[in-house]
Amino acid sequence: MSPDSKGSAAGRMLAVLRKEWVDMFRDRRTGMVTLLSAILAGPIFLILIFNLIASQAERARELKLPVVGAIYAPAVVAYLERQQVTVSDAPADYDAQIRRGDLDVVLVISREFAADVAQGKSGSVRLVFDRSRDRARTSIDQAEALLRGYNRLWGEQRLMLRGVASTVANPLRVETSDLATPQQSGALVLFLVAYYGLFASVMGGMAVALDTTAGERERQSLEPLLMTPARPGEIIVGKWLAVSSFNALVVLLTLSGFYMTLKFAPLPPVGVPFLFGAREFFRFALVLVPMILMLPAILLYVGSRARAYKEAQANVSVLLFIVSLIPMIQLFTQRREPGWLMFVPVSAQYSLLNTSLRGEAPALSQLALSWLAPTALIVLALVGVARRLSRESILSGK
Amino acid sequence: MIAIDGVKKAFGKRREVEAVRGVTFDAPDGEITGLLGPNGAGKTTLLRMIATLVLPDAGHARVGGLDVVADRYAVRARIGVLSDARGLYPRLTARENVRYFGRLHGLGGAALDARIDTLFATLGMQSLADRRTAGFSQGEKMKVAIARALVHDPDTILLDEPTNGLDIMSVRTLRDELRALRAQGKCLLFSSHVMQEVAALCDRIVVLARGRVVASGTAAELVERAGTAGLEDAFVKLIGSDEGLAA
Repeated sequence: MSPDSKGSAAGRMLAVLRKEWVDMFRDRRTGMVTLLSAILAGPIFLILIFNLIASQAERARELKLPVVGAIYAPAVVAYLERQQVTVSDAPADYDAQIRRGDLDVVLVISREFAADVAQGKSGSVRLVFDRSRDRARTSIDQAEALLRGYNRLWGEQRLMLRGVASTVANPLRVETSDLATPQQSGALVLFLVAYYGLFASVMGGMAVALDTTAGERERQSLEPLLMTPARPGEIIVGKWLAVSSFNALVVLLTLSGFYMTLKFAPLPPVGVPFLFGAREFFRFALVLVPMILMLPAILLYVGSRARAYKEAQANVSVLLFIVSLIPMIQLFTQRREPGWLMFVPVSAQYSLLNTSLRGEAPALSQLALSWLAPTALIVLALVGVARRLSRESILSGK
Repeated sequence: MIAIDGVKKAFGKRREVEAVRGVTFDAPDGEITGLLGPNGAGKTTLLRMIATLVLPDAGHARVGGLDVVADRYAVRARIGVLSDARGLYPRLTARENVRYFGRLHGLGGAALDARIDTLFATLGMQSLADRRTAGFSQGEKMKVAIARALVHDPDTILLDEPTNGLDIMSVRTLRDELRALRAQGKCLLFSSHVMQEVAALCDRIVVLARGRVVASGTAAELVERAGTAGLEDAFVKLIGSDEGLAA
């Protein structure tokens, strides 16, 4: 036999890649779970959110307001009806119904309303609601706003009767102008689409990356593998390419899920012409390339440090936590993004995904910057695994 | 031909665990050399050094004239190892398992497939060839592991406690295969803590205890040197105790 002369580094790498591909796709359970969740989760999310938005918009358009004691203040009721509010008599057990969430808000008009007003006192009305219910919030806000509007209107009329300009009582006039383009509204939808796209790049390669490292060690096939002429570097690059390509497939399926849902699904019209067309699909994929390549490398590193699959899963949860937390922090801090953000993996991608969803093209310079840290991390992680595989301690289970 | 010369290896933070403390012996071609010793005698460490997975602290080990440190990848290309770690890929068929290792050795195409067919025929496992290894018995897994270790037709074969966990039929298959390989002029090094096994199979026996070679020679020579009636007593006397040995 001619030793070592046969076979090239590329040939051995390709052998690893091919074997891992077959192995991954034969793993039905993991494969199905990963692929199905990638294809289905996006559409399910979108449909739920769109229905939520639609039902809130509906509530806002048609406020239903049960009233207790409508006869004591006919003018208030008439004003509300002029504002398209559906006024009805409140049921006797309205407290309980609000607590159960059957009613959003109830207006209670005081029995002394007319008498108080006649004596020059403020007439008292009471809004009963449960603000902890998200669904009721639009109705509550609207009822409050309407009553404030009536209050102002009534006060201005009284001033006018006394020959005083209404501006005397309203020295400050607040005007609002919302600069959000139609695409910029529906921030929750934007957040979830970007978040889920990012998340797919973590989840996509997770199971297979751990199986091919910690699983290989657990099944005791690592030692025979290391006794072949394949260098640790060749083995790990082959595995990385296999996991990355699987990850890319999962991410593309996830994005297709969004695309297909928004294009074809009978979503309720919500007045948010939010864009996820072919152009956004392409931009998303472009922004996510560094994640698609980086996370498998890191997952392989984490997996190679564990003796068994279970142990690796426990270690990986820390990584998942970090990746899922970063976009949350960005959502809740809501600050203008600093320039150095493009150097932070995950953060940079989340920010660029949002840019794409707002209908803007991510700047090439920013894209380039967002590649730097992931590239460095890929190299570090792969060198780290290769070094671990060359260590004697990998055999003794330490 | 394996030539071991003054090899030492210690583990631990301060190198306090001396697994192999200066071992010298040769394992010639066309013979099965047995490495007998109780558990913890240093057999696995020694085999792993020859297999280039563990670097010796001192001394030299050569396989076919190639140094296991300087020429480690060339050594790997000409050794086949059946170790205690016989893990297969359960989702791959027997053939795919073996083919993977063949490709890593630089083989491929029709030549590789023909080689695998020959190996499977020799081991009597054609019917298993295209089944996934997930449900294989210990004996069937062992056959795949042998085929995998031999796919590149190595001229040196290392076996570390190969009969662990095997039933008697599988042990017989393994012995037949090893004798066939010896007949082809291969160099075989076989480690075990089971005396009968070594006595039944090996041409020469190297007795290892506490990281050192305490005796070597044919079974008859060892009995003669120990001055005992039988082989078992000879081993116990040479090792100094019967701890960790199995009859």
